[in-house]
Amino acid sequence: MSSLAELQRMRRRHRFIETALERLLATGSIGLAGLYVFALLVLMLRGGSKVTNFTLFASPLLDVGGEDAVRFVFAASIFGCAAWAAAALVQRVRAVPRATARVAIAFVAVAGALLFRDHLPRFLIALPSDTTAGGGVGPEIFNTLYAAVMSTAITLPIGIGAAVYLARFAGAGKFVSVVRMALDTLASLPSIVYGLFGFLVFVVEMKAGYSLLAGAFVLALLNLPLVVGVAEESLRAVPGELEDASLALGATRVQTTLRVTIPYAWPGILSALVLSIGRVFAESAPLVMTAGTTISRSDAYSLNPLRGGETLAVHLWYVNSAGLSPDKADVSAGTAAVLIVLIALTNFLASRLAHFGGRK
Amino acid sequence: MSKSVLTAEASTFVPAERLRASARPRWGEFVIRGFIGACGLFVVVATVAVITFIARAGVRGIQDVGLAQLLSGEIWKPEAGTFGGYPLIFGTGISAVGAALVGALPALLAAVWVSELAPKSARPIYRRTMEIAAAVPSVVYGWLALVHLVPQAEWVARALYGEEAQVTGEGLASSAVLLGIMIAPTVFLLSLDALSRVPGTLREASAALGASSWQTAFRVTIPGAGRSLFTAVFFGFARAAGETMAVQMVIGGARRVPHNLFEPATTVSTQIVMDMQNATPNTTASNVLFSMSLVLLVLSAGVVLISRLIGTWGRSTKSAKGAKA
Repeated sequence: MSSLAELQRMRRRHRFIETALERLLATGSIGLAGLYVFALLVLMLRGGSKVTNFTLFASPLLDVGGEDAVRFVFAASIFGCAAWAAAALVQRVRAVPRATARVAIAFVAVAGALLFRDHLPRFLIALPSDTTAGGGVGPEIFNTLYAAVMSTAITLPIGIGAAVYLARFAGAGKFVSVVRMALDTLASLPSIVYGLFGFLVFVVEMKAGYSLLAGAFVLALLNLPLVVGVAEESLRAVPGELEDASLALGATRVQTTLRVTIPYAWPGILSALVLSIGRVFAESAPLVMTAGTTISRSDAYSLNPLRGGETLAVHLWYVNSAGLSPDKADVSAGTAAVLIVLIALTNFLASRLAHFGGRK
Repeated sequence: MSKSVLTAEASTFVPAERLRASARPRWGEFVIRGFIGACGLFVVVATVAVITFIARAGVRGIQDVGLAQLLSGEIWKPEAGTFGGYPLIFGTGISAVGAALVGALPALLAAVWVSELAPKSARPIYRRTMEIAAAVPSVVYGWLALVHLVPQAEWVARALYGEEAQVTGEGLASSAVLLGIMIAPTVFLLSLDALSRVPGTLREASAALGASSWQTAFRVTIPGAGRSLFTAVFFGFARAAGETMAVQMVIGGARRVPHNLFEPATTVSTQIVMDMQNATPNTTASNVLFSMSLVLLVLSAGVVLISRLIGTWGRSTKSAKGAKA
């Protein structure tokens, strides 16, 4: 029989243990998050200088086709992003008309590109080097962006089509569950399996060799479950009243879908696409097996989709596993920093788009 | 048209030919409907294609070598024509289980803390941090581990096994920790979602009965989200088992079963990538790699199947309870 005093003592002890455990859990959790923040900080400190040291002297063109245009685009994007960030800051302090801000951003981007395109950090425009120090990642950045554009061009129509099918046109039939099962399976496959599939189809069966197009196709397949999932969710969130109103006005189902449902769900669909672009930036194993690990000097900046070429993520792996350059630690840090900056930008864009959708 | 709508007769009487005109098939409409259906079909066809292509080459490899040898043989030497997949499967299994222990469990506990015990204002900050961490490419984690983790692992191994031991930092310990760090953000975000789906009324009921927030978290919320939490950990496990390039950077690439966690080892996916560069297509050496990837595929398909089973089981018990009530 426990007296009241004993009960209270037990309770106090219990509470003491609980508080201790809770503090322990809190410390552990904050430590876990701190680990990531610390890792990213270390990375940006080590690699940041590679990305930010603009040169005083104009670096000469390397006699690679299309290099001047690529430098222009890189410089315009860098200055455009900087101007965009600055405009967002200014807009917090005082209201600036949106049109004025846009014109100013465009002006800064073009002017910056015209004036400083030859003064970009050397790392961003130089060709990679296997054996000597001082290699850059110009072609890798170009390939990464190009692969992202191509894979999005494949994902966009098919992803939206499949999402619309699942959200609006499919009943509760057997085929719908087959499609869902297929999407679940695709989502679960390890990326190396996609790589092997692309290798079999494009390199072995079609004898097309390594190509960026094969890489983009495989990545599009890999992204399909993600895009369909998010797009379907945002399509389902469209209020039924809107569609009913459109149908009641005599519009057909297809017209309603194209003019009412998809425009309303557009921000959600767009943020799904941006997320999938982030995965194109990050993925490496499927690209090693479909797009290869080489950069050839002659077509480093060529728009031909049937040439092979490595992306930033693949380069980061290749430099460390097969590269012989003496400054591979620096090159890796710089490559990782560029990659993180690109991914942070896309993620920021995704959250902005989702936010935009929410406000609407 | 606008004129006829305005008059009273027109609004009650629609000319028959106009009705018929609107019922006439529109080709654009057909095309778009067809495209939408085709997209649904494409998803299925693509999935079937991926699995058949891999399975076809994989089955050839199994026929060449034999399933028993492929799964339990202890020597993997493509250049000598010996394909024993046990070291590969062993490496994948140990690093994935290790990753689940090192990464998924802390992530789960962190999710519990953030969702149940932490001050509300900390939640979005923590979530945002982990979202960024989840978006960091796995090769970046791989490189960070190569530079900062492997030397530490070597130091630990020297302390454990003595200075003369044949250990390098590269090995299963490094890859397990790397994979743990890599999957923790994903597991955290999935667990957080699972916990936030537990109805608030359950927590309120628990609090009303006098339970502390700690008791509520561990006796009510976690059991309430149990299945989804399990799925989250499983998802992380599958991702760890399939990861390739990051692991390749820290595993060392020795094709045998290591004696301890600090000796170079290998995994299924890294060995596939490394050997595929030298293998001629349609030979045994290449087909066997597809057989190994079939192992990964079966594993991940098993994960889908199990999580589906768990899902339907949860739904059916829930609906049964609902029917009783």
